[in-house]
Amino acid sequence: MIKPEKKLPPVVRLQYAKDDLIIKEGDYGISIYEIISGKVGIFVDSGGMNIMIATQGPGMIIGEMVLLAGIAGRRSTSARALENCCLESLHPTMLLNAYKQMPTILRLITNQALRIQVRMNKMVSGLSLVEGQPKGIQSQKLSDQWVERRKFYRKTVSIECIFRPVNSPKGLKLKGQIRNISREGLHMVVDLSSSIKCTSIPGDEFLISAYLMPDQKVNMTTKVLWSKKGETAKTVCLGIAITHMTIEDQRKLGFFLMP
Amino acid sequence: MNINPQLLKYVVSEESFPAKAFIIKEGNYGDWIYVILEGRVKIKKQTSGGMLTIDTLTKGDFIGEVALFKQSNGRRIVSAVADGPVLVGILDMKQLSKEWQAQPCKIKNLILNLFQNLEKATQKSVNVLGTFSIPSEILK
Repeated sequence: MIKPEKKLPPVVRLQYAKDDLIIKEGDYGISIYEIISGKVGIFVDSGGMNIMIATQGPGMIIGEMVLLAGIAGRRSTSARALENCCLESLHPTMLLNAYKQMPTILRLITNQALRIQVRMNKMVSGLSLVEGQPKGIQSQKLSDQWVERRKFYRKTVSIECIFRPVNSPKGLKLKGQIRNISREGLHMVVDLSSSIKCTSIPGDEFLISAYLMPDQKVNMTTKVLWSKKGETAKTVCLGIAITHMTIEDQRKLGFFLMP
Repeated sequence: MNINPQLLKYVVSEESFPAKAFIIKEGNYGDWIYVILEGRVKIKKQTSGGMLTIDTLTKGDFIGEVALFKQSNGRRIVSAVADGPVLVGILDMKQLSKEWQAQPCKIKNLILNLFQNLEKATQKSVNVLGTFSIPSEILK
């Protein structure tokens, strides 16, 4: 007698048009896809920009990171059709079962590779923060319904800095403390008792110098976006956008922010 | 973290390395796979700006595991350098290959795919880094 085989759901073939989003970073998802035809770009979000970290063609598999328990189903990258594509959705339960049945050692080796892959992706996106479009990396402005500003990398710090309003005499040195900083801006706390001369109103422009690390001095031109009361009555906290930095300083900041 | 006892069954020999010794060297031929039994190991890759550390591995992690998937024609794609004294276990390649070959096709493809991606991503970050002058403290 033939044993009735456990029925698997039918294989689903999916069509995607150019620019369609197949997988969205941060979403929960369990599907793993094999590319049948067409090209797919793998992107990571980096400060509102989508950085393309790889292209995949027919025969390649995307979405395999769901196997890594640590991610718990959260997509670590986005996948977008670069041209009209046909994908086959693989049975995630079947694959997961096969994965679980692998000898422990093979699973451990795979896990290590998945872990390093996640790290590498972060590194590539972190590095591409450093320069707008470094060699070998293409980026794409988000332009469709998925446009949203998501978590760009902001580092909590405690760095003393010197600042003065743009157009003020060169010798003027006011002290502030940077509390956190990203590629786009920073939060600075100013002690009003020592910086009385400075009236900071949103719109004011400051020149800020700070040592991110010993020997890593950066200068930036900035604009105050908002100000609010600090932790004590004598301090004020400013939200500041960076409007200009030299390429060299952008690199230093990029490396400083690297995850 | 304790090493999974399942792993120790594959250890056929042990080897110790002094601090800063190369366990495997990028570009060299070799297909041993090691598991770290004691100590820490830095995984490095050559860039135009110097050696870049891409990961630090500890007890229970693997070195040279790409060799199992024959993706690199027997060449090492990274260097592994002992960060202090290190004890590694050499894994039974015969047994490992046998078990790997016995895996269902779909899962094999998936894992091969993963290692291809990993190599691409590593190369990409190395290329990107090559375009910068890297602050020396990052390369240490």
